[in-house]
This record gives sequence, C-alpha cells and structure tokens, in this order.
Amino acid sequence: MIDIPSADAPVDAPRGRVLLIEDEPNIATAIGFLLQREGWRVSTHSDGRTALDAVVRHAPDVIVLDVMLPGQSGFEVLGGLRAGQNGTRADLPVLMLTAKGQTKDRDRAEALGVSRFMTKPFSNRELIEAVRDLARTAPG
Amino acid sequence: MPRSIPTGSRIRERRLALGRKQTAVAGTVGISPSYLNLIEHNRRAIGGSLLSRLATALETDRAALAEDGDEALIEELRAAAGAQQNNEAEFDDAPDLARRFPHWAGLIAAQARALAAQARTIEALSDRLSHDPTLADAMHELLSTVSVVRSTASILAQTPEIDANWLGRFHANLDADSRRLADGAEAVVGLFDRQAARGADRMLPSETVSRFLDDAGHRFDVLERDGVAAVPDLVGGLTGEDARVLATEILTGDAEDASRLPRALVEAADGPDDLIAAAGGDLALVLRRMGVVDPGRGLVICDAAGALLRRKPVAGFPLPVMGAGCPLWPVYTALGQPGRPLTVVVETPDGADWRVHAIAQAVAVAGFGAAPVIRATMLLTRTQSGGAGAPVGPGCRVCPRIECPARREPSVLSTRPDMLDMVDLTGDTLPRS
Repeated sequence: MIDIPSADAPVDAPRGRVLLIEDEPNIATAIGFLLQREGWRVSTHSDGRTALDAVVRHAPDVIVLDVMLPGQSGFEVLGGLRAGQNGTRADLPVLMLTAKGQTKDRDRAEALGVSRFMTKPFSNRELIEAVRDLARTAPG
Repeated sequence: MPRSIPTGSRIRERRLALGRKQTAVAGTVGISPSYLNLIEHNRRAIGGSLLSRLATALETDRAALAEDGDEALIEELRAAAGAQQNNEAEFDDAPDLARRFPHWAGLIAAQARALAAQARTIEALSDRLSHDPTLADAMHELLSTVSVVRSTASILAQTPEIDANWLGRFHANLDADSRRLADGAEAVVGLFDRQAARGADRMLPSETVSRFLDDAGHRFDVLERDGVAAVPDLVGGLTGEDARVLATEILTGDAEDASRLPRALVEAADGPDDLIAAAGGDLALVLRRMGVVDPGRGLVICDAAGALLRRKPVAGFPLPVMGAGCPLWPVYTALGQPGRPLTVVVETPDGADWRVHAIAQAVAVAGFGAAPVIRATMLLTRTQSGGAGAPVGPGCRVCPRIECPARREPSVLSTRPDMLDMVDLTGDTLPRS
C-alpha cells in the first residue's frame, strides 16, 4: 500500500472512490495525487493476487488497473472481477493501463470486458477525464 | 489475330510461315520434336520460359503467340488489382493489358510481387518485436518510466501552489525515474547493438570452435608445454558456454595427446609408422599428433554417424565447414572396418594426390556386452602418384565431379560451368610437390 498525503482536494464534495491497482509506486503516487486533487478518494493496491479482496474492502466506484502486476496480471484480475469472484460487483467500471500498446493486449482486455483501455505514457488530463467519464456512465 | 486461336496453333502457324522444321525449332529451345508436335496440336499446355524461348526462336514476342496473352501474367495482374482492393470489374481487361503492353504488365506484376515480399518482411520484423521477450521487457520498462516522468513533470508544471511535502516527493521521484529512464534507454540501445553484432551469436557452438581452432592452425604451443592447465585460458575468450565446453573437451584431449606423444618425437618421424611403438600401438593417437603438429598435414575425425568432430584443413584439401564430408573419404571406409589401419592415395578434383592414413577405433569401452564408441581418424599428406589416386572431393556442395555416383546433393558448381572451368584451371596451375 502506498501512502498518499492528502492533496488540496475539495473534501466536502468527494466524487467517489477510486481503487488504483498498480505496483509501480511512483506512478501510483502521481496518479493518486492527480485524482485526489480532482476530488476522488483514492486507495492503492499493488498485488495482483489480493486485488479482488482489495476491491471488496474498498468498494470503489472506479478501478484503475495496471496490466503488469506481481502475482497475477491485470487481465486475470479483470477476469475475476467480471466473473464476480470474491463477491465483487461484476459491473464495476475498469480503466486498464498498459505500457504495451499492442492490439492483442487491447483485444484481450476488451474480450474480458474492460470499460476503457489506456496506453502509457498518457497525459494527466486524459487519465482524469477517463476516470470521470467512467464514473458518470457507471451503472447504479 | 483473333483471340480464339489456341497458342499451339499460333506456334505452328508461325513456324510454318518461317519455313522452319519442327526438329530445328525444338532443338533450339531444348525440347524434343515430338513434344513440340504435341504443343503445336494444343495437346500440351505451354507458358513460362518455354513460351519465351519459342517466341525468340520464332522471331516474335510471346504475347503474339499466347492465346490469351500470358495466363500467368494475367493472373498476377488480377491479383495485383485484388490486393489493392479495387473493383474487379474495372480490371477485367487484364488480358488486353498483358497482350498489348507485355513489358508494362510485367512491371506491374513485378512490383506487386515486391510489395508482397516487403509486407512479409515487415510482418516478420514486427512479429519479432512482439515476441522478443528481452526487447519487449526493455520497452515496457522504458514506457512505464516515461509515463511516470511525464505525469510527475506535468503535475509540477501545472501545480504552482503545490505544498512542500508533495513537491519534495515529486522531485525525488523525478530524480529516481529520470535515472531509470537513462538506464532503460541504455539497455535498449545495448540490445540493438547486440542484435547488430549477432553475426557471431548465430554461429553454432561447433562453428565457433571450428573457427577458433582454424585461426590457431589447430596448434597450441602452450598445450605442448603446460598441458591441460593451459586450457581454461585458451578457451576463455570464446563466446557462449556451449562453445567453451566443446573447446575445452577438444583442447584437453590435445593436451593429453601431447603428453603421451611429445612433439619432438612427432617432428622427428617421417611418417605414422615411425610412431606406432612410441604411441603404445594407439594408431589414432599417432594420426592425431601428426595432424596437429605438422602444419602441412590435414586431419579429419568423425564419429560413427559420419559427423565431423575435428577438421583441420590443409592447403589444397578444403574441408566443408558445415555438414558431412565426401562419402569417398577413407575416413568413412575405415568406419566400416574398425581396428584396421588403412593407407591409400586419393586425388582431389584439382588433380592433386594425397596419401591418406585412416583408422577407426573405440574411444570408450563401457564393458563386455556394451557397444563401444567408435571414432575414425584420417591424416592427409600431400604426395605424388601419377594419377593412381582414387577420386575424392571436398564434399558434394562444392565438388565439381558432377557425375559422381556417390553424390548426395547437387553441387553449387554444377549449374555454373564458368566456375567449373576455373576449378580445372586451378588444378592445372597448382604445384604438385
């Protein structure tokens, strides 16, 4: 778990919760900072194997999921999530991040039911807008 | 000419118009008169280079002879149009194009072929990029780091009011990540450098060792002096663990041979027979020592499968770098009669004579009832026999003896008579001492 000091966020009007599943601490720090500043409550998790437990524990509105994770890849986490494993909400919006912009990664993520796919390096604005869009179109 | 006249009939018509005989025309293009007769009566399909040759022989162009232009060319034109996903109906005049502008049509077809070949190359390269795990990992690392640097740098640039806590943290991250980025970039460059230098990596361990031994002339003074202790230093510079293991095995054997049959004795001997007693009757040892010590002699060692384990070439008797040798070599004859020492004279294609000593014997005996490991050794020494030598070659691929009954594969020389001439010429000018 990465400790993110609170940013100057509008705490009284939180947009919702984002769970950031990413093992690269500096990326997690940067993304965490950005989303917090936009009014999100951000939790981070860095292990693929226990990611679904973290989803249950944090009950996020949006998940930002990296493909390369220790223990279990982001694809497997996404598959488990969409199958409702561990009692997770199967329809949670998931934004997947990968450094491999290859079509087969994208195809695989789409086949598994990813909500949105983004390749690194991305711009901060792109990421923030993607998370906002996903939360808006999320069911329930 | 109307399109309905078949190609064969056109050929016949043209030949008769020129007043040429079937036999003469057939001879010119290299087919039998009866085959030409079948063609002329439209009972054999014709196209490709034969049609071109016939056109030349009949002093016309192939489009004038072909019933519908050149079918193969038309097919290629249609494929070229199809590859560009054009409306096929607009291209149904391909036969007209091929007939009226055969050279332009040929150009289109050639360009379509080149495009297809390039597409295959690109596919192979991109396939390699996505399947080269080292490259993929290095690129992934690089992109991840670029991503952090970009995000962090934009945060710093766009958040002037950022608090000191965060500022310190992002600066530290940026410092660490920019170093990682530099290392990652270096790693990728290193990877490409290695791939560029992969010429050496592509060699099999046996090729690496062969080249290493050949460069030294198979002769290592330090082994004669210091024995096995000198081996690790000698093989240390070789690329690849497998190559070093293989070279160690060979040089250890050489060092042991050297201690069993010292160089001074070998250099004093006129021929292998002089050394048999000193070698304790180990004939293969005698041949190996003479082969290694004397730069004027060649040495070949093979296993029971005929695979060449050691090949020390000698000027005038080239040995193939890859694959088996010439099936007529006495080293293979020896394999058929293990334990029987052979001495014969052979003649290489250039007319040079060689005295060959050969012996096949067990190198390892596991015990009674167990099959021995047999190796055959052959020593090559230049001699003169006045044409009494049995013909041998350097290995089929580079052997000009086209009619050889033992030939296993075509010679690269067989289709190039100019090179064959060169080989004969070389033979005539070689000194025969």
